[in-house]
Amino acid sequence: MNCSEFERVLPDYLEGDHTAEQQAHLNSCSSCAGLLADLNFISSQAQLLQDSVDPSPAVWNALEIQLRREGLIRDGKTREAAPTRSSLADFFRRHRAAWLIPVAAALVIAGGLKLYRPLGAGDTNPVARVTAPVPVAQGSNPASNEDQQLLSTVATRFPAQQAKYRQNLDQANSYIRDAEQSIKNNPNDEYSQELLINAYEQKQMLYDLAVNRSGGQ
Amino acid sequence: MHSGRCAARIVVVLALASVALAAGVVRKDLRFKVGKHPMVSVNSQYGPITVRAGAAHVVVVTAILHSDKVELDQSKSGNRIGLVSHLLPGADATSGIVEYEIQVPADANVTLQSETGPIHVEKLRGDVTIQGSNAPISALDCADGHVHVKTLDGAVNLTNIRNGHVEIVSMGGDVTMNNVTGPLVKVSSNSGKIQYDGDFGSEGDYDFSSHTGNIDAVAPAYASIDVLARSSNGPVQSDFSLEPKHTPFVAAVGSAFHGTLNKAASSVSLFSFSGRIHLKKRQN
Repeated sequence: MNCSEFERVLPDYLEGDHTAEQQAHLNSCSSCAGLLADLNFISSQAQLLQDSVDPSPAVWNALEIQLRREGLIRDGKTREAAPTRSSLADFFRRHRAAWLIPVAAALVIAGGLKLYRPLGAGDTNPVARVTAPVPVAQGSNPASNEDQQLLSTVATRFPAQQAKYRQNLDQANSYIRDAEQSIKNNPNDEYSQELLINAYEQKQMLYDLAVNRSGGQ
Repeated sequence: MHSGRCAARIVVVLALASVALAAGVVRKDLRFKVGKHPMVSVNSQYGPITVRAGAAHVVVVTAILHSDKVELDQSKSGNRIGLVSHLLPGADATSGIVEYEIQVPADANVTLQSETGPIHVEKLRGDVTIQGSNAPISALDCADGHVHVKTLDGAVNLTNIRNGHVEIVSMGGDVTMNNVTGPLVKVSSNSGKIQYDGDFGSEGDYDFSSHTGNIDAVAPAYASIDVLARSSNGPVQSDFSLEPKHTPFVAAVGSAFHGTLNKAASSVSLFSFSGRIHLKKRQN
């Protein structure tokens, strides 16, 4: 059994119908094993989402517009023009890391919420110089759950890149911590707020690149 | 004598062809008819991508696949062309290489992705979006379109880019800009250096920031700029005698400055957390 054949029977496999041949292929093929792990993860996360409150349609519309603008999703014609494959397996394969998109969006929203501290109108007092914060050593804080998931996906799909992504995540997180510390020292410092936005953009980029890597194979 | 030399050439050509065939190298030539402002996207894991402006209404692709472990998936939908390097089981960073040489109409919008690159675009007038992990990225002589780049560690080199939005996000890759001007030029780096050499155009917004990377900006004496520079933990220096302006923060000498040069047509922000910032005067 090869990968294409396995992808064709993947829906049945997920339903619990296993054959010895399928299991043997799964044991010998890291690509298909990774695909199955991703699908199981998505499935488990989807179950957790069932109880959550749906945001308003406006939120989804805004998200869709942004994703289209970024080129992360396209209209139906593109999918129709894509190389033929088992449609369900193809969908799962192409969207195996789709969970990263809302995570990336959440990062940006989180950054925005952290920064949403309106300055007092007419406040013209000069902002005191920020005391130089003590940089936090890289890797001293454990990675968040989202970071762990990102690294897990990268490790499964692109093992050679895991160290690079870990290092870059550490750097982005270090940047975020430094900027947050500056804002903590001086909440009205717009300069530090801009640095924090940039730091979150860098982290979002890491997630974007992981999504696009996953979609590119 | 002459026929002997000719025979030798044939033998060499046949030998090279045999080696290429044995290695599984395949060349594919594709040609697409397109309308105005076509959209061309290339998604590749391994190998260089070069896109240059060519004739109008046609996209010409030469792809060299380095093995049978990689396929070229192509799609065309209206004015949109997609090229994907499709890795097959067993492909790696060597056997998965596809070299792309592409000619597009100058007004094409292109989206390019390669992990290893290098990626190069030249003489385009449309929007350019480039993503790469380690790929060196370069853009030359582009104008009137947006240039958006995202990279982890690849060096970014932009030369003669005019009248577009330039936005670059880099983690460790150095970003070098020569004669880059436009209404918006924004570079965000983590540890990579940011180097700018140009006159900052007129009425543009130039925003360079880094976490630990150094920022060097070289400008001529005639540059018309309003510069705000600040580094929390690094030295800040200017070779210009700027007309001082009020800063929104109390600036210690050597850690920040805010001033104008000439008519201050363009806004320049140089921010770093711990990198060095230096605004240099061009000597000639």
